Amino acid sequence: MNIDPVKDLDGKVERLKKELKSLETRVDNVQTDAAHNQLSQTNQLKDNTRKLTKTNDRVTELAESVHRLERLLVALNRKVRASETKKANFDDWPEIGEAEIAKILKGQEAYARKAFTPQEAKDTRKAIAEYDRRALEAIEAAEALTHLPPTAEALWRKNYQQWRAIADQERPEAPDDDTHAKDTVAKSAGNEAIAHTRQLIRARIEDAVARDLLFPAWFENVLGPAAPPGKADDWLYTATDVVLYRLLHDVTSPADALGPAPQEEGHRKTLHDRLTGECADYRKP
Amino acid sequence: MAADPFARLADRQQSLRTALRALQAAGPGSPDFQPLLATANAEVDAVMQARRDVEAARLTTPNRAIAVATTAAALIVAVGWFDAWSLLSLLVAVATAASVLVDPVGRRFFEPLARTTAISAALAATLLTPLASGWATLVTAAGIAWWAWRTQR
Repeated sequence: MNIDPVKDLDGKVERLKKELKSLETRVDNVQTDAAHNQLSQTNQLKDNTRKLTKTNDRVTELAESVHRLERLLVALNRKVRASETKKANFDDWPEIGEAEIAKILKGQEAYARKAFTPQEAKDTRKAIAEYDRRALEAIEAAEALTHLPPTAEALWRKNYQQWRAIADQERPEAPDDDTHAKDTVAKSAGNEAIAHTRQLIRARIEDAVARDLLFPAWFENVLGPAAPPGKADDWLYTATDVVLYRLLHDVTSPADALGPAPQEEGHRKTLHDRLTGECADYRKP
Repeated sequence: MAADPFARLADRQQSLRTALRALQAAGPGSPDFQPLLATANAEVDAVMQARRDVEAARLTTPNRAIAVATTAAALIVAVGWFDAWSLLSLLVAVATAASVLVDPVGRRFFEPLARTTAISAALAATLLTPLASGWATLVTAAGIAWWAWRTQR
């Protein structure tokens, strides 16, 4: 114990200084530790990320090879089945006659045909009446040409011009009242024929599925080896349409189900596009 | 086919009458109206051509005569009433007369009479030249315009 208060204080300060130093040292130590820890953790993280990337690549590779194997398997499956399984025949349809197909095509034509609106029909009729009136006038004018004296040039000129007014023109096509009725008949006949044909085709496809027959190559190419689970009805519907398309448009390629895409717009192109899209959906893994 | 233009015209008119009768019998609505119309059109053209031939036969000589008269009058006027400004009218008139002399009736349906009009205008212009000097060219020009208008349409 010091009697001198100053010295006492000095001693206290010294002590405190020492304590402070030791505290500083500890703080420094802790900081170094923390930094060390952080570094090692970062390293670990990096390591893990690298590993993960590697695994990812590997998985991708594996997936690819699985796809390859799947394709091989499908082909192998086909080959194996081809040797002993009966083949489904979706190419010959003796029960669907030419007449039936003609009906369907007529119906499609009828749907595609542009119908006259009443106003258009009225205008066309008016134009026809006008044409007929002028035609009669022109015939009268030409009749006059058969007995005019050759010197009456003004009359010749007038009548000749009246004739020219009609000679170069064509009579507008009459808006056939029957067309509408005929089209309606063709449409309903086509609808009936299509429903009947569809039924036949679907029955045969269902039968092939039930008996586990080997589908034709074009069929499997476009629709896959089987219906995707839970979509059997849609798949059958599309399959029926594909077969019907081949039948209607005379596609006979053994590998290409729908044949080349049609160039001109129309019912056929619409159907082709629809079937292409739907079939791509069914083939998706 | 008759060689005489009048007989040929009558002939053509007769066959046009037949064609028109068929056309009338068919009526505008019938399916063979268009081919009949084409036939009748050909007949009408043949009749027009026959009438042109008649006119040509009638007008060849007068047109030539007027052209010769125009040339002669132009020479007389050029010598007797000499004037540089008048020469324009005279030259145009002589040129018209030359073309009419070469081809007095033309080839189109209404050309023979149109050529008569043009050459008459040229003659009138030549005779007017002593009074109107160069301005008489306008008369010839009007005649040529008339010819073009009647022919081209």
